[in-house]
Amino acid sequence: MLETSTRQDSIVESLLARGVTRRRFLEFCAATTAILALPVTYETRIAEALETADKPTLVWLEFQDCAGNSESFLRARDPGVADIVLDILSVDYHETIMAAAGHQAEAAREEAIARGGHIVVVEGSVPTAANGVYCTIGGKTAQQILAETVKGAAAVINTGTCSAYGGIPAAAPNPTGAVGVPDLVSGVPVVNLPGCPMNVDNLTATIVHFLTFGALPATDEVGRPLFAYGERIHDHCERRAHFDAGQFALEWGDEGHRKGWCLYKMGCKGPSTFHNCPSQRWNGGTSWPIGAGHGCVGCSEPFFWDTMTPIYGRLPAPPGFGVTTSLERIGAGIVGLTALGFGAHGVAKAIQRKRVGDAVQTPVEIDRAALRKGRDEEGGER
Amino acid sequence: MTTTPRERAEAAAREDPLQVVATAGCVTVRVWQLPVRVIHWTIFSSVVVLSLTGFYIGTPYLSVGSDPRFVMGWARAAHNLAAFVFIAAIVARIIWAFSGNKWSRWDQFIPISKARRENAWAGFKYYTFLSRTPPAGAGHNALAGSTYLVVLVMFLVQIFTGLALLSLESGGALASISGWVFAVLPIPWIRFVHHLIMWMTWGFVIHHVYSAVLMDTEEKTGLISSIFTGWKRLPADRL
Repeated sequence: MLETSTRQDSIVESLLARGVTRRRFLEFCAATTAILALPVTYETRIAEALETADKPTLVWLEFQDCAGNSESFLRARDPGVADIVLDILSVDYHETIMAAAGHQAEAAREEAIARGGHIVVVEGSVPTAANGVYCTIGGKTAQQILAETVKGAAAVINTGTCSAYGGIPAAAPNPTGAVGVPDLVSGVPVVNLPGCPMNVDNLTATIVHFLTFGALPATDEVGRPLFAYGERIHDHCERRAHFDAGQFALEWGDEGHRKGWCLYKMGCKGPSTFHNCPSQRWNGGTSWPIGAGHGCVGCSEPFFWDTMTPIYGRLPAPPGFGVTTSLERIGAGIVGLTALGFGAHGVAKAIQRKRVGDAVQTPVEIDRAALRKGRDEEGGER
Repeated sequence: MTTTPRERAEAAAREDPLQVVATAGCVTVRVWQLPVRVIHWTIFSSVVVLSLTGFYIGTPYLSVGSDPRFVMGWARAAHNLAAFVFIAAIVARIIWAFSGNKWSRWDQFIPISKARRENAWAGFKYYTFLSRTPPAGAGHNALAGSTYLVVLVMFLVQIFTGLALLSLESGGALASISGWVFAVLPIPWIRFVHHLIMWMTWGFVIHHVYSAVLMDTEEKTGLISSIFTGWKRLPADRL
């Protein structure tokens, strides 16, 4: 796949050469149409686009990352689709999977940049503190490499939460000054495919969308494609019926957990997270975190490491009270202290009232005085 | 032209015989009009329903067994329904602040006039034991009025965060209006604020009932019964 000689081939020719049948190719087009939530009629349009499109050059950059998105990339649905994914793309530079090394590898990247019109996929956040020394490759900082590589690019696709929003390296206190790619890149269309890691189906679909329509898919306000991040996990979760019924796992391994009840009380962040995990699933559609019995950690939301914690608690811990104090306890404390405070105030007022005496004439006293006065005046006249 | 309080009461009684009844040295006044009382109790009952259902939604203390009861489904339905009743009551009260009698008007909640500022100061001195005399007035004293302004702001934040959380599943126009807030504060923290205001509201309820009892035992103007009947019996010079 790293041979540059096949670049001129169309995608279908290259697939056939690798033994992927036309039927398999059309299945792939149909599946991608479904992922993109397009009407079924688009299947042919996608097939046509892929048949005529030249293989796009892809440069995959890795910065402050764990290579999780590369792992996800290599675990495309099944061998047939893996071939398709890898053959649709001419992956000219990918540190983890390319055969070339050292200067030869950097030359491949420079060559792709010189040609222009390439797709840049970024994995990992970019450190900006101390002039970016926390991540250097071949003597260049991540920031320099990113700036060089996006020049003349057709699009930038951020895979994973780190390259989209800074992710775990950017979690407080963020010692490396890590930021997401959108903070550093301008003038090139950018799309975010956050997740820890991203789902390769969404990457494939995004690239197919780009090849078919010549543009990146429509996104939400944090740059995520709506086809993959438009719906909340909680609203499409297979355990949602247990939520509505009031059936919750209360402890790991208890009866509710064994029966597959809702993980809401175990701190599941499904209600706060937008991603197509429940429908697209992972590892070739076999399972996904909630399906496997662990609550969602909200990994596709910006800054999830800081905002979605505690992972096993429903809500953030109130600042300044330690991580084990729940908001409900603080709330009960607010009510209790208010009651105590006003109770004490009432006792003090009663003492003051007793010592100083009544402050004002009550209406009854005023009326009595007025009546008495009236009677006296009457008596006087008589 | 100088008028005595008594003459002012009589003039008011002539103008609106249903609202003011003058006797010996006092006047009986319908301070709280019917809409004010209806709105007050609508807010109270919807807050009770919202708090009970909301607490369950946030902390589902009932986990039904194998026989599903749809508890969370009903709790959320009741919460959403009560929320719209609550919103309607708050909107109605804001409208009434511009169309009701002088004790329900907006200027009762914002002490901008010199008299109201002095009244607020008198109220502060009364509460901090610096003075024995409660702040004079017929409707809300200025300090209480300002407290209700804070409560209104709390309620508006509560409504907004509630609608924003609803928009997560409803999408549509609601999401377009409120979606920006999640860029300012992430979803879990919006929930945090929503929960916190619930607890603060009950702290306010304690304060509210305590102050009502305190003032009523001090002045004996029928303050507590006035929120049911509307009438207060006041010295004529209070009008």
